[in-house]
Amino acid sequence: MFGLGLKKRNKTDLRDTPIPEGHHLLEVNDLKMYFHTQDGVVKAVNGVSYTLDRGETLGVVGESGSGKSVTSLTIMGLIDMPPGKVEGGDVLYRGKSLINMSEAELEGVRGNDIAMIFQDPMTSLNPVYTIGRQLSEGMRLHKGMSKKEAMDRSIELLRMVGIPNAEQRVKEYPHEFSGGMRQRVMIAMALACEPDILIADEPTTALDVTIQAQIIELMQELQHKNGNAIIMITHDLGVVADIADKIMVMYAGSPVEFGSALEIFYEPMHPYTWGLNRSIPKQVQDEKQPLTPIKGNPPSLVDLPDGCPFSPRCPYATDLCRTQKPPTHTTKTGHYSKCHYSNDEQFVRANAPKVERIKPGDIASERGVDA
Amino acid sequence: MADSNVLLRVEHLCKDFPVDKGFLAKHSKNARYVHAVNDVSFDIAAGETFGLVGESGCGKSTTGRCIMRLTEPTGGKVLFEGKNIAEMDKKALKSMRREMQFIFQDPYASLNPRMTIGEIISEPMVIHNTVPDKAERIDFVRELLDTVGLNPEHINRYPHEFSGGQRQRVGIARAFALRPKLIICDEPVSALDVSIQAQVLNLLTDLQKEFGTAYLFIAHDLSVVQHISDRVAVMYLGNMMEFSDWKTLYNEPCHPYTQSLLSAVPIPDPDIQGKRERIILRGDPPSPIDPPSGCPFHTRCPIAQAKCSQEKPELREVLPNHYCACHFAEPNPIKESSIEL
Ligand SMILES: Nc1ncnc2c1ncn2[C@@H]1O[C@H](COP(=O)(O)OP(=O)(O)OP(=O)(O)O)[C@@H](O)[C@H]1O
Ligand code: SF4
Ligand SMILES: [Mg+2]
Repeated sequence: MFGLGLKKRNKTDLRDTPIPEGHHLLEVNDLKMYFHTQDGVVKAVNGVSYTLDRGETLGVVGESGSGKSVTSLTIMGLIDMPPGKVEGGDVLYRGKSLINMSEAELEGVRGNDIAMIFQDPMTSLNPVYTIGRQLSEGMRLHKGMSKKEAMDRSIELLRMVGIPNAEQRVKEYPHEFSGGMRQRVMIAMALACEPDILIADEPTTALDVTIQAQIIELMQELQHKNGNAIIMITHDLGVVADIADKIMVMYAGSPVEFGSALEIFYEPMHPYTWGLNRSIPKQVQDEKQPLTPIKGNPPSLVDLPDGCPFSPRCPYATDLCRTQKPPTHTTKTGHYSKCHYSNDEQFVRANAPKVERIKPGDIASERGVDA
Repeated sequence: MADSNVLLRVEHLCKDFPVDKGFLAKHSKNARYVHAVNDVSFDIAAGETFGLVGESGCGKSTTGRCIMRLTEPTGGKVLFEGKNIAEMDKKALKSMRREMQFIFQDPYASLNPRMTIGEIISEPMVIHNTVPDKAERIDFVRELLDTVGLNPEHINRYPHEFSGGQRQRVGIARAFALRPKLIICDEPVSALDVSIQAQVLNLLTDLQKEFGTAYLFIAHDLSVVQHISDRVAVMYLGNMMEFSDWKTLYNEPCHPYTQSLLSAVPIPDPDIQGKRERIILRGDPPSPIDPPSGCPFHTRCPIAQAKCSQEKPELREVLPNHYCACHFAEPNPIKESSIEL
């Protein structure tokens, strides 16, 4: 990402083009990306679909290896092909396909229209360049700023992300920053070009909770100001409850459920989502709730089970589940679930965890959808 | 707590690590130290779970390692069943180790890759010669594998053939092989996914019920610690800030650090999360090489006053069995506020 020669771009930014009628800011349609390895075909992204609008935050949750990171890297065109190969589906940004874009065009989008904060800040900061230089580079490349302009803006950005003494600190190197400060630098860098979409891959997982709270507050403040969309990848259901408008639950390379945050937390339809919900220790007032783990382990992506990928671990699995891929069941609010029994209201009502809301209300009407 | 019930007592435990390497630097007058553990005291009763929480680098793991005598404390005492472990001879130490086992954070690094899981689990029994007969030992290992939810047929497999959660079960089976009275669990589930984490937490709870083992449960995840612990202690920069039974600590925290820590943990419930008052602490924790004067938390504390930077607050019993080290501790959560640094 860094150390590229500086080429000035003179095309207009894609984010200035209006979103065509009937489209969303970002649309992922049945995206499939497989790795072809010596051990076999790793179906890392296996039919991912969602839509995202400006100002919205999508939370992507799922266990380790479920394909959360690879999905976003595919959207950004950052997967090496080979071994990777897009096997189907499309990604539309403002109505324009990112999958069919040339590498040169994509380079203009990356870091500019769509920016990403990576899982480990130390590997994505270059240790031999000063923080200021690394911040400036993108702005000189994408915005055609002069060295001086870019450096002034870098100082401003560091200040904005809450780094004290910014004039001094732009001259320092990554190792001179604490973990929380490096993550803030990463955010500053991602925001340098005021992206339309900010993809944050576990931006707080390596940080302490008090620092995590600072970073999340910062991302929300900046979103409020700039109106950008956020894709927040995390395994922490607390973090998504905190910031997500929409949630996609991934399992073994596929989204098993997608919906508004309220739908996923209060009206979940998929047995895997239920299992996750029952596995997390909840902060309870008086009594400890027993945990009900999901038995077994996630499957290998090289050797996915026939039928529903969750069937070997699902307490409700039937012969149908073990042999037939479940269809996608979608409600009128766009809430979808990939389970044979999601359209069986009685089954869902009887088996979903009972969650008492402190603020009872009709979820559909809260979303402004006519029920 | 009746004294007879005390299994482990930690008194004024301190551990400093020299920062500068080399003989001269270490012995110079200006030698610098990381004050990793600073005057920490607590008791663990037989059969209870005592949780130790705090952010990275606060000295939780070092406290655990000092108790196991994996590292020598620089001050204070550790008493196991009333006996000072620093004064134990080799033989006494060996028999103490039999009663006190360790489960580590990283199930990948803590198991010898060249040993089968059968060998790994039976090793403590060989060292302590508790089950001298080999055939009997193998039967016992199979039984242990079954207890921790692994297939006894897999006794001859190697660690790399197991998933993270399964490896953690191997570590647990090994820790239980000698039926110890105390197990020090250092971040035993933090490397695991939530669904697997729940499996391991339930296993630990079931084994405790069956064998009456006490746990010192060290973790940074407050929800996990709350779930498993009877009593919980909060550490910051090597110091014990507050401790009490889990219910009181989570519902009526007195220390402003505990209050801000709890308010920073996002709750997986959008309604509650949207309505909560949060205390966002500014800045990073100070360096343990050069800790602040007075109260170690005063540089980030939303209610700090002049006294806090001058005088170190003692850990005092603010309510029965509820200890807190703050000059101005109040049982009610402080209001949302923030300080700029
Ligand atoms: N270059 C590659 N070649 C082959 N397989 C790969 C490659 N990169 C990733 N994978 C596989 O793709 C799958 C999805 O990985 P991904 O990193 O997206 O998971 P994740 O959900 O982000 O997990 P985590 O929570 O651990 O970050 C995994 O099985 C991983 O091993
Ligand atoms: S399709 Fe069957 S196996 Fe899959 S989640 Fe639904 S009930 Fe379970
Ligand atoms: Mg990832």
